[in-house]
Amino acid sequence: MSVILEVRDVAKYFGGVKALDGVSLTVPERGLIGLIGPNGSGKTTLFNVITGFYVPDRGSVLFRESNDLVRIDGLNPNEVFKKGIVRTFQIPRLFNSLTVLENLLVTPLGQKGENPVRALFRNSWSKQERELASKAIELLKTFNMLHYVNSKISELSAAHIKMLETIRGLMTPAKLYLLDEPAAGVDYAMARELFTYVRKLRDEHNLTFFIIEHRLEILMEYVDYVYVLHNGKLLSEGKPQEVISDPKVIEAYIGV
Amino acid sequence: MIGFDIVGFMISWLTLFGIYAILSLTLNLESGTAGITNFGKVVFYGVGAYISATLTTYLVLMLNGVNVGEKPPYSVDGIILLGELGNKNPLLNIGLLVLSLVLAFIIAGVLGYLLTYPILRVGPAFVGFTLLSSGELLRIFLQHYEPVGASKGLMAIPTPFGWVAESRVREVAYLCLVLGLLALTYVVTYKLVNSPLGRTLRALRDDEIAALCLGKHVPRIKATVLFIGSGFAGMAGVLLAYYLTSVNPNMFVPAVTFNVWAMIILGGFGNLKGSLVGAAIVTFVDRALTFITPQLGITVISPDYLRWVIVGLLIVVVLIVNPKGLFPEKPIKTPAIDVVLEELRGGSK
Ligand SMILES: Nc1ncnc2c1ncn2[C@@H]1O[C@H](COP(=O)(O)OP(=O)(O)O)[C@@H](O)[C@H]1O
Ligand SMILES: [Mg+2]
Repeated sequence: MSVILEVRDVAKYFGGVKALDGVSLTVPERGLIGLIGPNGSGKTTLFNVITGFYVPDRGSVLFRESNDLVRIDGLNPNEVFKKGIVRTFQIPRLFNSLTVLENLLVTPLGQKGENPVRALFRNSWSKQERELASKAIELLKTFNMLHYVNSKISELSAAHIKMLETIRGLMTPAKLYLLDEPAAGVDYAMARELFTYVRKLRDEHNLTFFIIEHRLEILMEYVDYVYVLHNGKLLSEGKPQEVISDPKVIEAYIGV
Repeated sequence: MIGFDIVGFMISWLTLFGIYAILSLTLNLESGTAGITNFGKVVFYGVGAYISATLTTYLVLMLNGVNVGEKPPYSVDGIILLGELGNKNPLLNIGLLVLSLVLAFIIAGVLGYLLTYPILRVGPAFVGFTLLSSGELLRIFLQHYEPVGASKGLMAIPTPFGWVAESRVREVAYLCLVLGLLALTYVVTYKLVNSPLGRTLRALRDDEIAALCLGKHVPRIKATVLFIGSGFAGMAGVLLAYYLTSVNPNMFVPAVTFNVWAMIILGGFGNLKGSLVGAAIVTFVDRALTFITPQLGITVISPDYLRWVIVGLLIVVVLIVNPKGLFPEKPIKTPAIDVVLEELRGGSK
């Protein structure tokens, strides 16, 4: 299986804090990969480095572009997105004054009506707008959220907010999804539903998922492979059963 | 005798309203919709006013064969000559109006783009204050720049309809011009707000980081909005210069910007109709006070201070009743709404 994302010896320091201290890992295309580790182990920082929020102090990040792996570290977040990487946040970031539908519609890049001159001529963009609206409606149907189409974000449950933040990426041709704790604050049944959808997306749309999650009981049921971070270093990796029975991992989680 | 010229009052109020509403609509686009705190609106207004004043006075003199090196428009001779020569050629006056509008739009717009592009990269908190201080810098520069009359400014600016003999007709013609440009501004801002661009602007306002993560080029989009808003503010400045027939640096103090902010806070952030109503109210208070106070013989309180007190009180009352202003922001109207309606109707059958 070919690699879609490669992190090579990445380090990121905040003053004396070694948030990441030489992490190397790969994510295969169409993988459903987990990233776990105790609080403060550097998981979110790794996502921030991958998505261009931080420039790593050392190492590089590579992403597949047709047949090559190209460096993406040093790019701005908007440029990383254009390469085909979407992310969600530990604390979700949706557009709160927009409706659910508008949160989906705002996502695609380079819309005709986003050009200030064309925006003045409705005829030049209304067809595309209608197509995008149909696509958004289909997505909401697929994820059983159509009845929220005109709702404000404040009217949604935590689970639906996480869901919406994930599926807005589906309005774009993005290939790799980085999800930061999608199950946090979501009840068990909804969390499983969410992960079931994720697996379905991977299977039906050939997407790749790299998921930070604290709720191991749910994560382990769905992922094919897991990386464990501890104090900014890779502590362990492997199939879910292997990792969960690794004494080093148990020790890190119990805390020593 | 207390005489009240109601028609004259209406004309002067509506003209001032038209000019200010162009500022409030575009400030609402920039700050209400796109979330850019523009505390420098007056910069672009002043640039537009000075462009038309400079262009018109110098060109009228030069095209009439006056040596502006000897008799510049800010000198006494120049001012007298402007009065004599200014209204002889209607085509020239109209031509200068058009030229001023076009140049003011482009120059103020480009200035808006250039001033903000680097600032926007620094962070939203700095934008407002950098723009505020650029305005003051510009004003201090104008105060000392002789070619535009330094602190006296430029006077006796020949106006587009100066050749019309009947003063009431002239005023109405000018009012029509102002309202025409206001209508243009409204149509443009309305179309921008109710488009995919308008949606993207609200998204930037809500969460810049999320917008960045969705690939939006945040600084460029904001600078573009400031190009448009500043361009229109430049045109409003042109209208002001011709209306008052004079410009000087003290007309462009930061208070002008805050006046426009008062209009959009009163009317409602992100609601264009609110900006019109806000501009109408604030300019009405201003005109009414200027008309009434001399007739009442009040000399203790300057209408200037009274205006701020009244506008301030109005804002407080409106915000207590409705924190979103008189007219809260409306959902964006694009054809997507129709698609949803069709879907929901089709689904219920
Ligand atoms: N912007 C920052 N400035 C300073 N320290 C940070 C910053 N971001 C993260 N850290 C520190 O880096 C470490 C890793 O944080 P983080 O990646 O958020 O952990 P996790 O997501 O695994 O819980 C923590 O010690 C945290 O305090
Ligand atoms: Mg985290």
